[in-house]
Formats: sequence, structure tokens, C-alpha cells
Amino acid sequence: MTEKFKEVVSRNVWKDNQVLRQILGICSTLAVTNLMLNSLVMGLGLTFVTAFSSLTISLLRNVIPRRVRMIVQTLIISAYVILVDIFLKANLTDISKALGPYVGLIITNCIIMGRAEAYAQKNPPLVSMLDGFFAGIGYTIVLLIIALFREFLGFGTIFGFDVNFIGFETWTIMVMPPAAFFLIGVLIWITSNVFAPGKGKKS
Amino acid sequence: MKKGRIYTIIFMLVISAVFTLLLAGANSYYLPKIRENEQLAEKTAILYVFDIDQSGSASEVLARFDENVKETTVSGVDLYAYTSSDGAPIAYAVPFSGAGLWGTINGYMGVSADLDKITGLVFTSHSETPGLGGRIDELSYREQFKNLKITAGTKLAYGEDGGGQIDAITGATSTSNAVLRILNQLLDDTISQMEEANND
Repeated sequence: MTEKFKEVVSRNVWKDNQVLRQILGICSTLAVTNLMLNSLVMGLGLTFVTAFSSLTISLLRNVIPRRVRMIVQTLIISAYVILVDIFLKANLTDISKALGPYVGLIITNCIIMGRAEAYAQKNPPLVSMLDGFFAGIGYTIVLLIIALFREFLGFGTIFGFDVNFIGFETWTIMVMPPAAFFLIGVLIWITSNVFAPGKGKKS
Repeated sequence: MKKGRIYTIIFMLVISAVFTLLLAGANSYYLPKIRENEQLAEKTAILYVFDIDQSGSASEVLARFDENVKETTVSGVDLYAYTSSDGAPIAYAVPFSGAGLWGTINGYMGVSADLDKITGLVFTSHSETPGLGGRIDELSYREQFKNLKITAGTKLAYGEDGGGQIDAITGATSTSNAVLRILNQLLDDTISQMEEANND
């Protein structure tokens, strides 16, 4: 039986959040979250790629030979990533420039492969696409939360607008990757108490 | 479902062909637009180092570029020249290229026609870390180089060593140093070559 729409949403955005619960996609979370805008575009790019690669893989799930399925998944994912890259270069030059090499790195984001392997391989196309889409949204939300803290404390801005009204000294560490480590750690710590209160491990 | 080896091979061939075609199609469809964007970005960058107004629509920028800037060769160096209406050069945009922290940094340095000051600095492509080394793109960094005096044998340096005129980017030491290395090399080789030719 396929999942209901509501379940797909709540599972991906909250209960089984890719970053907070499954600890996937950490590399890009560390890398792009020093600016809100970069995080948003990265999140949307990933959401698009995950949704469409899940859809495609699910459509092909009965004809892909098992032993080469991972190669096929990678092929499909990279094709969509290159499409995103070409589209950004042609239509959104500034953002394409700001993201630089990170667009290409969407290919290596574990979330896409994770959704393909764990979900799209064995579920019908439409629900797989939704699953991929909301996995991406869940990822985007976490990215934006982390970026909010990092950009505010590191640059004194939010989405590039100066909000440093009291004129505090900005924290250089927040701009650098280690800050994302601290923030992700804190965020996972807080949320894990919500997901599984009183338990060290979810078993 | 078990599938044979031949099926696997044929499947891989077909799916690779389909996706390659799809990408090739998208690429050739968007290529003219991407080239156009790249050219516009390049020309806007050159207008910036000459301190010419870069605002307005794409066609306005291109017209202003054609009106003021010429591609030429000065003492063996290919560059863009900003000429006044009577044809006398006002400034040159000298292209540079060198190793950054992660990849090649390309850009233009604007120098006045008498080669005694920098009129502007711009990077056209780099692969530095966004938010760290990538901040070399920000005006607050690049504007420091504007109107910087250069004389024969000038070595640019950050902080007090360079007379306190330019500062590195905090948290991006390697990229900042790479930029200086590239610029100093440019001053050493290309600019001094032009200077010698000027003096002859």
C-alpha cells in the first residue's frame, strides 16, 4: 500500500528528516550554510533533482537490472544535476556564479541516492516524486535554520540585508565550516530529545 | 526478476544514449544564451575596471563597451584599451590568470595608460569557497585596489607591509595570498614589459 500524502510530508520534513535524523547530506550542509541565499538555492536545486530523479527511477524500477541499479541511479541523478547547472548558467547567472562548484556537487549528495535506493526503487512514481520533493524541502528547512544563525552572527545580515542594528562584532568562526559542525550538533541534540525523549538511541 | 547479461548491457547502452541525447539537446539549446551571458559578464567586468558606468540593459552595456573599449595589443600584450574619442589610450585592462586555492582565478586588472596606478580589479571566474575565498568578488575587497599607486618594482602586500592600503579577507588567507601572488606576478612580468616598451 502506498503512503498517504500527509505521511510523506511529515516523515520527510520532520520525523525522518534527512539531515537531523538520518544524518545525510552533511557535507553540503557544512559548506553552503554561511549565506541564506546560497542555502536556499542549493536546497531548491536539490529538491528539484531529488524529486525528478526519484520519479524517473521509480518509472524505470521494473526494467532496471538489479546488479547495475546504482550505476543507473547515478547516471539519472547526474543528468538532472547537469540540467540544473545549464539552466542556472543560462537564466540565473548571478546565482550560478555564487554557488560555483556546489551545483555539480549536488550529484554526490547522499540524500538523492538514499531516496532512490530506499524509496523510489520499490514505490510507484507519483509518491516517489513527492517523497523526493519533501525530502528536499526538509533538507532546505534545516539548511535555512543553520544559515540564519551563521549569516546573522557571521556577517550581521539576513539574506544580504544588514540587520546588525546594535553593531556587535561579527563572529568570523560562524563563516567558516567548523561553525556548521557546532550548529548541526546542537540542532541534532535538541531535536533528538523531541524525537525520542529520554532515549540515548532510537531502537 | 532475474535478467541476463545481454539485457543488462543493452539496457545500459540505451539509457546512456537517451540521457546523453537529452543533455546534449539541452546544452545546444541553451549554449547561445550561456555564451551571451558570459560575454556580457566579461564586458561588464572590463567596463568596471575602467570605471565606466555598467548600468542599464544588456544592449546598452554592449553599446557602451563598443564605443569606449577596443581589443588591441600593446608591446606584445593582448589587452583591452579604453580610448578617448581622439584615439589616445586612457587605461588598459590586462587579463590575468593564475592558481587560486582550489582552481584557476581569471580576471582583469585595469591600469592607467601611463602605468602608474591600478584603475580597478575584477575576477571573471574562480572556484574559491563561497562565503570565504569567494568574497574576493565583493566590492569591499576589490575596491581596495582601486587607485593604488604602482611604480617599477612595486610589490603589493597586505596590512602594514603594504602601507596599510589593502587588507586580506579574514578566514581566507590562502585565497587572499593567491590573489596577491597572481597580481604581483602580473606586475612583474606583463606590466614591467609594457613599461620597458613605453620607455624605449
